[in-house]
Amino acid sequence: MTWASDPRVTRFQRRGPCTSEEDARRYLADHVLPHPWYRAICVDGRPVGSINAKPGQGEERFKASIAYRLAYQHWGRGIATAALRAAVSSLLEEWPHLERLEAIAEVENPASQRVLEKAGFLREGLLRKYVMLHGKSRDVVMYSLLAAGPKLR
Amino acid sequence: MGVGAKEEDREEKRTVPEITLRPFTISDVDDFMTWATDDRVMRFSRRPTCTTKDECLTHMKDHIMPHPWCRAICIDDDGRPVGLVSVMPAPGADVHRASIGFDVAYDYWGRGVATAAVKKAASAVFEEWPLLERLDAVAEVNNTASRRVLEKAGFRREAVLKSYLVLRGESKDMIMYSLLSANSVVR
Repeated sequence: MTWASDPRVTRFQRRGPCTSEEDARRYLADHVLPHPWYRAICVDGRPVGSINAKPGQGEERFKASIAYRLAYQHWGRGIATAALRAAVSSLLEEWPHLERLEAIAEVENPASQRVLEKAGFLREGLLRKYVMLHGKSRDVVMYSLLAAGPKLR
Repeated sequence: MGVGAKEEDREEKRTVPEITLRPFTISDVDDFMTWATDDRVMRFSRRPTCTTKDECLTHMKDHIMPHPWCRAICIDDDGRPVGLVSVMPAPGADVHRASIGFDVAYDYWGRGVATAAVKKAASAVFEEWPLLERLDAVAEVNNTASRRVLEKAGFRREAVLKSYLVLRGESKDMIMYSLLSANSVVR
């Protein structure tokens, strides 16, 4: 609950902050445990955040989108970047059919944009009003990392 | 397409087609087949090119009839469909977003039919779905015909999304375009 109840962390997430332990338990049971790929980010063995990947369906099954969140007191130490790098490594190995990993960061979230860039994602462009977050449509920057690496086409 | 861009614009200014959009009925299958079996039209599509009437009927029953918003593009002389335009709402919580796609029979290319249909469809869905704020579309980098349609219909190019979709067994780079209700609707 450290990060899931912190509005500074959930500000850029679809889900608002968890308000109670009951709320958090239900989220863990209904969403986290059955998720196709959901991992805790641990420092000294204790979870300080999480990262997850969602594969596409049908003709989109060759791509997956990544999202992560980190407890506020651990920001600014390169943890998210390291977690992303580790996740990318694992995913490319576990899902060999994967060609594209993508992630979005809100225009107003430069911290997350830097994390993605440091983790090797390439900025593709600004998608206007792409996601609905806390009742308002937001502009986001789309990032991708290709299994094949950057290519000249 | 064999017609150069400038020539196309001049043609359009001369003969902007009057088109109407209406829901499909299963009896449209013969007209539907005209483009759905044509590789020149379908080669950039997510749907495979149909080869038989049965395949077309199945496609109509499984995808077109239950579709949230799919319309036949009719040119008003005899009201028969010469193409299709569809708008698919985004999955999950993104009720403010939807994606548009279109096909036009090859014989009707170069007359502004798709552009007119996309403009009409955009107007219609922004009106019917008041929560809709963003209409987007992706087109392959070398699908210059469709890209011009979107640009002429007022869509703005946003990004090249690498290996975004797998079509016909190959991963394709796609260009993302969008049209915002704020830029196109007076409410």
